[in-house]
Parts: sequence; C-alpha cells; structure tokens
Amino acid sequence: MLLCKSGYGAFSHIKRKIMKYDVTVIGSGPGGYVAAVRCAQLGLKTAIIEKYSVLGGTCLNVGCIPSKALLDSSEHFHNAAHTFKTHGIELDNLQVNLEQMIKRKGEVIKSNNDGIAYLMKKNKVDVYNGLGSFLSKNTIKITGQDGTAQQIETDKTIIATGSKPVNLPFLPVDKNRIITSTEALTLKEVPKHLIVIGGGVIGLELGSVYARLGAKVSVVEYTDAIIPTMDRALGKELQRVLKKTLGFQFFFGHKVTGAQVEGETVKVTAETPKGETVTFDGDYCLVSVGRKPYTEGLGLENAGVQLGERGMIAVDDHLQTNVPGIYAIGDVVRGAMLAHKAEEEGVLVAEIMAGQKPHINYNLIPGVVYTWPEVAGVGFTEEQLKAQGVAFKAGSFPFKASGRAKASMDTDGFVKVLADAKTDEILGVHMIGPRAADMIAEAVVAMEFRASAEDIARMSHAHPTYTEAMKEACLAATENRAIHI
Amino acid sequence: MALDVKVPVVGESITEVTIAKWLKQDGDQVAMDEVICELESDKATFELPAEAAGILRIKAQEGDTIAIGEVICSIEGAGQGASTPQPTTVSSQHSLTESKSVTDPQSTVAAENTPSQGIPNQPQGGGAGTGQTLDVKIPTVGESISEVTISKWLKADGDQVAMDEVLCELESDKATFELPAEAAGVLRIVAQEGDTVEIGATICRIEVGAGSGVSTSPAPQLSAPAAQPAQAASSGYGGSTTYASGTPSPAAGKILSEKGISASDVNGTGRDGRITKEDAQNAQARPAAPAPQPAAASAAPAAKESAAAPAAPGVRNSRREKMSSLRKTVARRLVSVKNETAMLTTFNEVDMKPIMDIRAKYKDKFKEKHEVGLGFMSFFVKACTVALQEWPAVNAQIDGAEMVFNDFCDISIAVSAPKGLVVPVIRNAEGLSLDGIEKEVVRLAKRARENKLGIDEMTGGTFTITNGGVFGSMMSTPIINAPQSAILGMHNIVNRPVAINNQVEIRPMMYLALSYDHRIIDGRESVSFLVRVKELLEDPMRLLLGI
Repeated sequence: MLLCKSGYGAFSHIKRKIMKYDVTVIGSGPGGYVAAVRCAQLGLKTAIIEKYSVLGGTCLNVGCIPSKALLDSSEHFHNAAHTFKTHGIELDNLQVNLEQMIKRKGEVIKSNNDGIAYLMKKNKVDVYNGLGSFLSKNTIKITGQDGTAQQIETDKTIIATGSKPVNLPFLPVDKNRIITSTEALTLKEVPKHLIVIGGGVIGLELGSVYARLGAKVSVVEYTDAIIPTMDRALGKELQRVLKKTLGFQFFFGHKVTGAQVEGETVKVTAETPKGETVTFDGDYCLVSVGRKPYTEGLGLENAGVQLGERGMIAVDDHLQTNVPGIYAIGDVVRGAMLAHKAEEEGVLVAEIMAGQKPHINYNLIPGVVYTWPEVAGVGFTEEQLKAQGVAFKAGSFPFKASGRAKASMDTDGFVKVLADAKTDEILGVHMIGPRAADMIAEAVVAMEFRASAEDIARMSHAHPTYTEAMKEACLAATENRAIHI
Repeated sequence: MALDVKVPVVGESITEVTIAKWLKQDGDQVAMDEVICELESDKATFELPAEAAGILRIKAQEGDTIAIGEVICSIEGAGQGASTPQPTTVSSQHSLTESKSVTDPQSTVAAENTPSQGIPNQPQGGGAGTGQTLDVKIPTVGESISEVTISKWLKADGDQVAMDEVLCELESDKATFELPAEAAGVLRIVAQEGDTVEIGATICRIEVGAGSGVSTSPAPQLSAPAAQPAQAASSGYGGSTTYASGTPSPAAGKILSEKGISASDVNGTGRDGRITKEDAQNAQARPAAPAPQPAAASAAPAAKESAAAPAAPGVRNSRREKMSSLRKTVARRLVSVKNETAMLTTFNEVDMKPIMDIRAKYKDKFKEKHEVGLGFMSFFVKACTVALQEWPAVNAQIDGAEMVFNDFCDISIAVSAPKGLVVPVIRNAEGLSLDGIEKEVVRLAKRARENKLGIDEMTGGTFTITNGGVFGSMMSTPIINAPQSAILGMHNIVNRPVAINNQVEIRPMMYLALSYDHRIIDGRESVSFLVRVKELLEDPMRLLLGI
C-alpha cells in the first residue's frame, strides 16, 4: 500500500505537464517490454503502459514462467516417486506440499517482475501503471486502478496487449471448479480427477503438472489428435508417453456440450463421434481451448486502427497497422501465440522505427511444448511438405538408442529431420524427448544458415549428450547412415 | 542401352581437352548431331555433337580437363523413346516427364509424391497447360537504342510467373528498364544474364497457362543450373556451389538490406558461398558507372573505393569484374569526346559571400513560401542561362557541317544515382524562377535516386553543370557531355584571403572551370561567358535587373 501511495505522488507530479514520447508501448509482456528496451537502446524516448500492477504480462505472471515453475516442481516429485528407487535413492513418506510449490512459483514470478522493472529503469523507460487507451493517434490516456487518469503524447505506438483465454458460451468458467490456465496455476489442492478440455499445449502442460502430483487426467479433444499443428508424429508419441507414464486418458472427436458444478463435482457432457452423449465426472475442469487477441478498452476506434479477422489487429509486413506510426506485435496480431515470436517482433518494430531493415523468418520460429518428454519443432512438418508436393527424405533417431538418455532413464521420444530430397537442405526438425525445448535451437541455427542434413552430421556433438540424437537423425536423413542404430 | 560419349581425337599432339561449356544440361533430351558441349584445347575449340538421340547424362563437369578417349557423358535410351532412369540420379522432373510411357513403379511413386510439380506437359497433347508458348521479345525502349544487356533475371528458368510480374532488368547505355511478363505461365529463359541482345530479339518464352510445371519442350533449359558453375568460379570459398550459395546469414541479410545491396551482388566467403556478416559489412554497392561526365565526378567513385578498401598489412587481393554495358559505353564516349573535339578549359573564381548572405537571410522565408530549400544550384543555373543567351555559341553544338544554335537553355545536371552519375535535364531553364529550378532539381534528383529517370529525361540538354565540389574537388577540367559544346564545373567553397578594395579579406571562394569545344566556341566567347557567370553570382542583383 505504501508503495502505491508513493506511486500516486509521482503521478500527480507528472500530471502537470503532458509528457511526450517517441514511442509508447502498451502492454509489458515479452513482446512489449523487449520492444521498449530495444527502442531505448536505439535512443528513442520510450514509455511502457501496463494495466496490472506488475510487469511481464501473461507469459511471466500467468503463463510460461509459472507453468514451468510448477512443471519442474511436479517433475521432481514424479521422479522422486517413480525413478529414484531405480537410481538407488530411497525415500520414506514422500509428500506433495502444494502450498509450498505455489509459493515457490510466486517467488519465481516476483523475482522476474523485479528483473523487468530493473531493466526498464536501467534503460530509462518510463513505466505507467494503468489501462492505456487511445484518445487519438498520438494521445494516450492511462487510467489507474483507482480511477485516476492522465495523458501522455507519443509519436509512435506499439500495441502489445496480448491475448486471453477463449471462453466457450456453453461452458461458463466459474474460476473455482471450471477454471482457465490462470486459476490452474494457483489451485489449493491436487485435483482427484481433472477434466482438460482441449488437447493443446496449455492443457497438456497443466494436465501434466497435476497428473504427476497424483490427479487422474482426462483430455477431451474435438479434433482427432493432440497438438495438431505440430508434426503428427510428435503428437502420437506424446500421447503414447502421457498414457504410459502419467495415465492420461484421451477422448478424441468429442464435442463438449456443457458443464455443471454440483457441489465439489463438475459434470462435463460431450457428444462422442458416434453422436452419443457421455458425461465426465471430475472435481475440476480446465478449459484450455485456445486464446484470443485482447484489445478491450484500447480505444482503437479513436486512433482509427482496424481489426482484422478473429479480433486480431491487422498489420502489414512491417507490423504496422492501417494507421501509420501505430504498430502491433505478439499475440494481438497474426501468427503463433508464442512469447519468443512476440520478442522477435518487438525488436523488429523498434529497429524499423529507427530506420533499420530487420527481417523475421516466421517459418523458423520454433514451437515448443514443456511436457516431459518435451516436444519441439521448427520448419515444415511432414504433412506440410507432402501437401506442398516437396520431395523430401526423413531421418529419425530414437532416444532409446542414446547412451546419455539411457543413463538418465529418459528414453522416450525421437528426433526427426526432414531434408530436401535433392539438395539435402534441412526443411524441418521435429523432436520429442529430454531437453527438446533447448535442443531445437541447434535446428533453428542450422536452418537460418540453410544447412544440409549432412552439414549437421559432420559437426562434432559432445558425447554423451542428448544432442547426439540430432546428429544421428541428420546422418539418417543424409544417406540413412546413422551410426548408433 | 546407354551410349558412352568419349572425347574424340581432335588433332595430333593433343592429348587432353577442357570442357569449356555444356550447351545441354544433364537430363536434357538431345537429338542426333545436336551440339552438346564446347571443348577447348590449348590450340583451338571444338564442338561435340551428340552421336545419338536420347537423354543426356553428364559425367564430366565444365572446367574439367579430360584425356582424349575418356567418357565425357552418356546418352541414355539411344534411339528409344524413353528409358528407366538411373535410381541414384532420379529427380522428380525426370520421373514425371517419363511417367507417361514408363510403367516403372519407381517413377510412378515419385510422381505421386510430388503432385504440385505439375502434370507433365506432354508433347503429343493431352497435357494440362494450354500448350501455347509466347515468345517474349525485347520491346523498343527508346530511339537510338538498338540493343540492351540483361543485367539480372529476377525469375528463374521454370518459375511460374504472373501476368505483369517483373521478369528481369535490362540495361542500356542510358538507363535501366524492367521487363514485365506479358502473360501468366512458366518461364523459359533463352538469353542469359550479361548477354547483350538486340531490340526485338526473343529473351525468353512463357508457356502460357498455369500449372504446366515440367515441360518436355526442347526449349533450352540453360538458366539456373547453367549459371551456377560460373558463380562457383567467382565465389571466394573453395567449396562447391550449392543451393545455399549466396544465402546471407541473418545478420548479413539485415546489413545488406540496409545497404540496399542485393545478396546476388555479393560473393559469399562462408561455407559453400554463404554470405557471412563480414562479407556483408565489406560489401559495397556495385561500383558506380558514371554517365559521360567530368573527370572530377568520375574520379569520385574511385576515390571512394580506395578509401573503403583498408590497406590491411599483407593483404594483396585484387578483384576482377565484368564491365557493365553502361560503363563500357561511358568509357567509349569519354575517349571519343577527347579525340574528336578541341577541348580546353578556362578558369575563374567566384566570391560566394553575396549568395551565402542571401541564403542566410531568406532561406527560411523561401522554404516557407515555396516549400523547397534555397540552394546554390538555382543561382548557378540562372546565371548560366543568362550568360548562355548572351553567348549563344556556348549553348550551340556541331551537327555535321552545320552549327545548331538553341534559343532555349536545357541544362543538364549531374546527379548521383545508385548506378552511377546520371544527367537529367532541366528544360527551358531560362524561363524558370529560382524556386522553379530548385523544385525541378529536387524532383529529378529523387527520380534519379529511385532509378526512375527515363531516357527522354536525360537526353537533349544544351549545356551541363557538374558539381565536383560536393566530393571536395578544388579544381578540375570536366569533359564535355557530347554533343554539347561546353560544361561548367563547380567546386568546393573554401575561405581564402582575397584583396577587396586593397584590403585582405577572408571570403568563401569557389573556382569555376568551363571546358569547351574550341571548334565552335572562341576564346573570347568562352572567357566572356565565364566572367559573366562570375559577375552574376557575385552580384545577384544583376539577375533581378537583367544587367
């Protein structure tokens, strides 16, 4: 509270003269704050506006970072319960202290919040807390949570307001039993039976957290596969592993028709592919059917900014909206809703404003799922190459043939490399396995330089590491000459 | 089935030959006696005809030296319609073109796997496209232009092109042009980059109709693959040329686009010719090819080059580049002007203080009123037009046995453009006000920078002004811009002590040089002209009063 008050003091001081900025960033998620830092580095006088009291947006506060904190904690527990004994570590009375887990997660967030605040200070970016909305193309009103308002003027603006979970009309979220990812990160108890609606990244990650802590998890998915936008082989393998190690149950082709809370029970009704109605009884239901761009209260109409399809802000190749000088980045524009995509876009827009000519290769932005095993992919999927009629060759290497994976008992998964049939250029890399999220970086580097599969196959990879699987898969793709299988 | 083609005995004492050029590509259908490649010995060059009809499989590459009697290539299916492609070299193209008559399961599978490669355009009809082939010819681009050089293909052979999509850039000695596609279809390149072709000649063909993918038409498939070996020879890295040659790294790509340099103009030194960040940092825009212009101006790019090439100790690289046709024409003309005119130069100096005072006093108001800056150029152009009208010989030119005197002053102005110096013309400058001249200068300079100047905007001047001063030149003897008879060279403005009313004062001084053709202009005229220009500049009130 004290902090808040001193904040108001600062505001009332600023209010007397209208501040003018070269660039104002609305939203302090990974797209927004990175854009702000880059703008400041390039010598632009920069402001950033954040609706919430802390910086970092969805990613840091209710997304990537807290989910990874819980994923790591729960994975430790899962290992302690299931693999320690084999490793020769015996534990008695192993218990989950969910309160402590959530508390630690909170500390991780806090530490990162402070980190971003420090970065803003270091780069002399002015931070405004409040809801930013356009009064005109160059004037932005900031309304604090207490209702006080102030105005700033800006030459250019970057909209980085992100996204929020999609709600289904027939599935009202009560934030208690029927929850979104936000609530799933702060549960007070481990669910007995968690019903996850939607087999995408968020549902699988949070489902994994609670499955590892002992929950029964049922995934109800409308399509016929999980993580359907990634290479299909990855979804198949992940489905197999989640069933095997965490007891996930999958219900594909099921159309959820409603959910009702009765005391401590949630009854989810769905239609099977055959048209029959089934009911799932659980104690929590996680609705994770996607996210939608968030532009509420932005006053876009006052600036004349037009929306495109599905509520996204329409932008050109330089991420500029229909209004010159107003740009938009991240989840609020077209493309994958990924923090690292938003970051690249933040840098791109800042550099364009400074007269530079950067470029993003959207095909080489990796997609990652932080389940265990982790899933990652970059470039074209096998399905895309087939649809485009590209002649390609595929090389795979399973982790069960990797010495390092055997040593750490992480033998699920594989690396699959797709290369052009004629030139051997790598067209796509898809992997599921230990540390896949980190390993995909090698594929991105290789593909940015248009490396061939044989190029990677001829580069030394330290032994014993998981990355050797990448090399072996490239060998397999080159001339089917993997060494270790 | 396949016929091995061996290097024939070409003469006594010749034991080996070098393959100078493959005229057919691997996989091409060749006819009996068709010339498939050029061979070179130390004594002569030879053409190698096909000994049979069939599909060419190249064994030895361009530049290879091979002994007499060795196999240079083979011709598959000699005398037959089709044959089984060798499994190791099956490319989707071949399997597609052959699948019509071959029941080989391998090629059938390949065809299914690559649906978007298109339906084979079968020679006997029944294929997809309309089958119509449109010859694209070089259009007439201007009077007096009889040939152009293909500076760059923007589309590759076999690419699908849309109507009006730009196919290539053409270059004449005067300007560059873009050639749009006259129809949608598949591009078949006939003339290669760097080729000089006559107006009306066929430069490429378009197989009209979408999706006609792979063609069996005997149109020469030279383009991309054929061009690659040439690139390899010039690339810095010892490695071979691959699909990735010329790929800039992410950082290099950003640097190049900021410099406005196309990746295709940079020699990559990375693996397989990739362009590294260092390559991009060292890359320079193509050496400028100045239009027929004063020595001072043409010396400038050279000065820039030597400045940009740091004399790193021990490095003694030199680089060879083909002269562009623009550069060749410039060279030829400059020499011919020197040879065919009686050119000499007269000098004078101008005290720039009065003009600088006027500028200092009125530049804001001028800008406000006319929305264009008040520069020196308008004063010089204005002064020249007054002087030219008083000394008409300076504004005249020789045409055969006659002298052409012009009542108008069309002033050519040297402007820096991406491809070198160009000389757009300010028409009827004698009738323009100062702001009119400034606006015209700005407009032409902008069009020059954007490479949009048309030939009609660059021809027909009666007198040229060049400003070597912007590069720091103190004094120069410009070369006349033929067929004009005189050129005024402006230089840098330097504070020098001068005697004013018997007092030494420091004044901003500029040397002026007037190069002229003594065949048509007498010394009295040229010197008087230049003195008049000096008078008008040192006392601009005269411009107003007409005295």
